[in-house]
Amino acid sequence: MPLPRLLNRIGVYGFLGAMALLSVFPFIWMIVGTTNSTGDIILGHLGLGHAFLDNTQKFFTQANAPLIFWNSAKISLLGTALTLAVSSVAGYGFEIFRSPGRDWLYAGLLLTIMIPFAVLMIPLFMIMGRLGLINTHIAIILPTVASGFVIFYFRQATKAFPSELRDAARVDGLKEWQIFLYIYIPTMRSTYAAAFVIVFMATWNNYLWPLIVLQTNEMKTITLVISSLASAYYPDYGVVMVGALVATLPTLIVFFAMQRQFVQGMLGAIK
Amino acid sequence: MSDLKLVDVSKSFGAVEILKKINLDVKAGEFIVFVGPSGCGKSTLLRLIAGLEEITAGELVIGGKRMNDIDPSHRGLAMVFQSYALNPHMTVAENMGFALKFAGLPSAEIRARVLSAAHILDLEPLLQRRPKALSGGQRQRVAIGRAIVRQPKVFLFDEPLSNLDAGLRVHMRIEIAKLHRQLGVTTVYVTHDQVEAMTLADRIVVLRAGEVEQIGSPLDLYDNPANLFVAGFIGSPKMNLLPAIVTRTADGRPALRIPDIGDALVALPDRAPRLEDGRAVYIGIRPEQFCVDGSAEFDLAIDIVEHLGGTTFVYARKGSSAAIVVETRDGRAHKSGDAIAVRFDPASLYLFDADGGRIRSAAFGQPNA
Repeated sequence: MPLPRLLNRIGVYGFLGAMALLSVFPFIWMIVGTTNSTGDIILGHLGLGHAFLDNTQKFFTQANAPLIFWNSAKISLLGTALTLAVSSVAGYGFEIFRSPGRDWLYAGLLLTIMIPFAVLMIPLFMIMGRLGLINTHIAIILPTVASGFVIFYFRQATKAFPSELRDAARVDGLKEWQIFLYIYIPTMRSTYAAAFVIVFMATWNNYLWPLIVLQTNEMKTITLVISSLASAYYPDYGVVMVGALVATLPTLIVFFAMQRQFVQGMLGAIK
Repeated sequence: MSDLKLVDVSKSFGAVEILKKINLDVKAGEFIVFVGPSGCGKSTLLRLIAGLEEITAGELVIGGKRMNDIDPSHRGLAMVFQSYALNPHMTVAENMGFALKFAGLPSAEIRARVLSAAHILDLEPLLQRRPKALSGGQRQRVAIGRAIVRQPKVFLFDEPLSNLDAGLRVHMRIEIAKLHRQLGVTTVYVTHDQVEAMTLADRIVVLRAGEVEQIGSPLDLYDNPANLFVAGFIGSPKMNLLPAIVTRTADGRPALRIPDIGDALVALPDRAPRLEDGRAVYIGIRPEQFCVDGSAEFDLAIDIVEHLGGTTFVYARKGSSAAIVVETRDGRAHKSGDAIAVRFDPASLYLFDADGGRIRSAAFGQPNA
């Protein structure tokens, strides 16, 4: 290989390696942190320590792990399922059916993506208060069900749905809801998988809205509990790291389990 | 099988009229082919028959029953699509039996019909495969099988062979012709490929800009085109169409002057109708109508030669004129740049007026002259 090309390659790989390290460093630090005591973490110790079992035992003593896991899982799975159900129907409808005002309504929907959550949270809190839903898990799920972004994502993906499949199904005698259920959903399962990963992660990691709405310990999600561990007067960072690791595991499992469909779904949505 | 009738059928999308008062009477068991250039409305007409689009005005009658407002699935027809429209998540057997399942047929009946169709189409070894594991030709056969199992009164085909390569297209064309002979079901077939139209159809419907230009048997359309459009559309290579002016020869006989070929004069046959001098017309000559002993002759320069083995197509021109296509059986010696004298019998000419209408006369358009 000629020298300039070799140097160029070294430069490119060096830059990419540095960027990759920068991205993955918090994750590595989290794993290393689970094995170190608070003192070692504060001193910036980056090697593996011997405090893993101690940190883990403390985490499971201080946090009611089964309950917070159940809360987070319930909200994430139910919220994701409802979001996918509602938003995919909406995205399909926006793309397939022509009606007066459709484009205006869709433009309005896209605008909602651009409104920062900070603007929405006080009105949302008041609505939930009126509905008597403060300190309930439904209050976390409801605002995300009709997601502008997910509807947009499904509409874009539906553009790639072959119209002849729908025509053939109509000639075969299927009603519109049957076409959606028996043709669209199975055909678009990669799109659903990608949307599942995105929405599940967003719901699982949701912090600000649960912090506002959930008020008692038995209702709290894992992100709130980790945050409360970190905001103690003398925070035990080793325990916080164990909590962060435990909280990360479900999203990692979901992502790696659906990685292939996720990539297919994302490509399909862009095409 | 059923007959099918279109009475003054029109279709508009908003203010745009796509189909204008289409009238057609398809006999039971007949194979009808819609042809026409892109955007002429042939696929839209098929979709109107299928019930996938609403008819704006007029009437669709299948088997004596008005079908305008009947759901597609209750019209007694089955449709084969260009992209096959096979459900990717189902096996071949599931795809073929899908409509029957929704029609509520018992599973034993579904199985029997699927196996019977699979036998006809030689699909038995593929029944448990998914569409992605099939070749284009196999997918197309599954799509046809899916239509057959419904035992329809009318088959609709929407450019079913367009996605296949040339060899497979010929094979599937023959398969479809055999299938029609075997089942005898009334068939409406859309294509832009006129070889398909000529070889499959009992009758061809030529459409242009939403209107029927001519309906007739393939050879009738070839031999007796109603107008300039049909003359140019039916036939491959297409008919040579040249603008001409009615004039007279030096001895006063009626003739045509052809500006594109250096003002060549072609004396008209004695029986030719009287045409006023100076009238602008078009003449049409099919490539195979050039012969060795015709009384009219053009001197041209060969542009391109296409040797097909048995026949040769010579594309020749005079100066900057449009190329004239000549079909010859002994053209192997021809090569680009050579001079060629092409002869034809004026009685074999087709004559059209400036608006494209056919000037009919016993003196012209004798394909075997």
